[in-house]
Amino acid sequence: MPLLAARPSPLRTGAVIAALVALIPLVAVLITAGGQATDSLTPETFWRYARTSGALVLLVGLGTGVIGGLAAWLVALHEFPGRRLFSWALVLPLAAPAFVLAYGYASLFDVAGPIRTAWRTAFGWDPPFEMRTLWGAALVMTLAFYPYVYLTLRAALLSQSSSLVEAARTLGLSRRQAFMRIALPLARPALAAGMALAVMETLADYGATSYLTVQTLTTGVVRAWAVFSSTAEAARLALPLLVAAAVLLWVERANRKAVGEAGQARWRGIEREHLGGVKGWGAAAYCSLLILFGLALPLGWLIHLGWAGDHDIARLVSGARNALGIGVVAALVTTLLATVVALGTRHDRFLPRLLSLGYATPGAVMAIGLLAPAALIWRAFPSTASSVLMALTLMVLAYAARLMAAALEPIDAGLQRVGSSVGAAARTLGEDAIGAARRVDLPIASGALFTAALLVFIDVLKELPATMILRPFGFDTLAVMADYYAKDERLGEAAWPSLVIVLVALPAVLWLTRRVSHSRPGDPT
Amino acid sequence: MIKCLSAAAVVASALLVAGCQPEGSGTTGAQADCVPSTGGSVNLYTARHYASDDAIYAAFTCSTGIAVRKIEFRAPELLARLQAEGSASPADVVVIADAGAMDEAANAGFLVPFDDATIDGRIPEQWRDPQGRWFGIARRARIVAYDTRRVQPGEIDDYADLASPRFHGQVCTQTSDAVYNLTLLSALIDRWGSERALEWAHGVVANMARPPQGSDTDQIKAVAAGQCQVAITNHYYFLRLAESEDAADQAVVEHLALAFPQIDGRGSHFNLSGAGLAANAPNRENAIRFLEFLTGPQSQTTFATMTNEFPTATGTELPADLEAYSHHPADPLPLASYAEHRAEAQRIFEQAGWR
Repeated sequence: MPLLAARPSPLRTGAVIAALVALIPLVAVLITAGGQATDSLTPETFWRYARTSGALVLLVGLGTGVIGGLAAWLVALHEFPGRRLFSWALVLPLAAPAFVLAYGYASLFDVAGPIRTAWRTAFGWDPPFEMRTLWGAALVMTLAFYPYVYLTLRAALLSQSSSLVEAARTLGLSRRQAFMRIALPLARPALAAGMALAVMETLADYGATSYLTVQTLTTGVVRAWAVFSSTAEAARLALPLLVAAAVLLWVERANRKAVGEAGQARWRGIEREHLGGVKGWGAAAYCSLLILFGLALPLGWLIHLGWAGDHDIARLVSGARNALGIGVVAALVTTLLATVVALGTRHDRFLPRLLSLGYATPGAVMAIGLLAPAALIWRAFPSTASSVLMALTLMVLAYAARLMAAALEPIDAGLQRVGSSVGAAARTLGEDAIGAARRVDLPIASGALFTAALLVFIDVLKELPATMILRPFGFDTLAVMADYYAKDERLGEAAWPSLVIVLVALPAVLWLTRRVSHSRPGDPT
Repeated sequence: MIKCLSAAAVVASALLVAGCQPEGSGTTGAQADCVPSTGGSVNLYTARHYASDDAIYAAFTCSTGIAVRKIEFRAPELLARLQAEGSASPADVVVIADAGAMDEAANAGFLVPFDDATIDGRIPEQWRDPQGRWFGIARRARIVAYDTRRVQPGEIDDYADLASPRFHGQVCTQTSDAVYNLTLLSALIDRWGSERALEWAHGVVANMARPPQGSDTDQIKAVAAGQCQVAITNHYYFLRLAESEDAADQAVVEHLALAFPQIDGRGSHFNLSGAGLAANAPNRENAIRFLEFLTGPQSQTTFATMTNEFPTATGTELPADLEAYSHHPADPLPLASYAEHRAEAQRIFEQAGWR
């Protein structure tokens, strides 16, 4: 392994220690998978799950790529009515967890829901709008995850040097040709990175898919665990997911390598193509529809349901406080660990990729993986089993293990933009590796660190299985409350914690948008 | 614009945090006539999450001065946590809303038998584990809601009727991993044998109005919407809709009724919520007081009134709407059968194409 072969340096040692946090649960999953299972799913069922997972990933990957990509292209390179508003508003759906969208859509389009009931009353027949299908789930998850593609692709298009496109134009390419042949290929890694995030979220999702009755490998994991009480079988079902994630990460990495230096940046306002008349309004309508379907419609319906449902303000507030508190701590810890890993492995792409696997691993499987090391601690030091602090520490480490990828992606990208020559210059001026990192790399990449922390924070708010299995007495989070009410078939009550999640995530999402908007120096939006 | 909005959002969440300074610890109860806190507590791992339960815990704290500290799980997570904690587990009491999972917890050694004359006196033997490791605290019937305009009351006397060609394309139900479907089929396997159970599953799949999806409440609403004539459901979801003040919920049950099919004339299928003493309970005495409290008249009535569950203790007074169904007999299935046939039930479901 190149990592171990290299001369030990403090940064490398730190990286290895930080990496252990993410690696231990993955190893525990592998060990668990080797265990004996009493009963198992039939091969036919396994393949049905695998096919559904594959189809869902394909649809969501394509869906987010096209929908988010188109939005990024419109907003970054064109001028049309409302563009400035849309440039940040298009990120807002990121504040709503996929399972919250699923609650809203499943209920809106239920056979007894408002839309189909009104249709039957008006036309006398039942329209075939059904959200509890593969297509419905693909739609819901595309709407939930397109902001990943939008964010990454838009940032990439904005940070491209204008000189390359200008050169292409002087060589006789039309605007469109220049985009297709220069700008898009240059931005391809960003597109792939955004789609990879969306696809990994899709693979790991349990809340939305199970609510929409789409049976994927991830829901199969939970079924195996619940029905056969077999963590071994559950872990085995997760192995194909790990392989799929590894392939995705490898593809993304290969893509990134192919790009190399994208030319020296020359910061000048991007010359946006003006979309007049119908085209301009069409672009505005497109962006509006995304926000309408990604946020306004499902959330509006949940607000309507919540209005009729009971709610317990004290519980909501304590759930929000818990989620907020653990979210902030987890964001800081995860970002710190990811930064150490990123700094220590700048010339070694293997370890960060490996750590990112946790992101595509179903939460339930990670929970199984996390219980194994937790059990060692509990059994060695029995008093820790009832310690609140211990439970919270384990939860934070669990989030770090699972969300390392979400933090590593932006930090890696940020450090890459710093380049190695600046750090090398610092070294020649007498700084050691840590000093160079502290005084040069990190200040320059501080924006990326902040982005990473925000992404982790938003993800922790939505996290369910690890929270549920590791938490101490009396510690409810908003996601846990929403899940309980939904499981108890009280959507009106589930609407409240769901909406508070969105409310708490919103400031983080808005900060995130602002960061992205200001990612191009001198750009006013 | 963004600055404004994000500032507004920050203020909103700050308010949220600020508004949540300790409101007095909820479990100790602030009512004047409560027993003062003993400083003791009972640690509860529960896979039930109903308002009725919270009311019962508060009443327990009030009448004993013992605080209830709880973690709510789903059943598999609860068992996995107990497994991982081993003898270090702080759990005193385990409560799960499924007889199968309770039995599994007992067989895994997470529960210990204890003799208690109070509980034995209140709960009939049928609802107690023969080895004394756990007992039922509330019961739920897995039965059928039907459209009174299209189905005659006598048409569903037996679960077998759900598989009859009479209901071709008219049955709505959840997926096969819904735990109450699993225990229902487990019971049928126990009573009918695997072959007939598989035949039945095939028959129901052939009768399905749509692929299995959604919750029990969704099935009931689908009957009301005319998509199917009969729905397999737990009884209390129907009662919850019937009791609702919401006009829309009232409209759903307007032309619906509950049928209590039986298994070969033995009675309907009931699942149990169970409670037991954790094997390594650090607060054993408090735990036993808590378990006794769950079987007391106050708790049993609360299950019946707030969650519409059938109590397990004999002689509990029932609210009128639940009383109306209390004459339906329950199949006296041995409690061990719930867990015993579960894996086979899942296989049969898969074989029959019940997704």
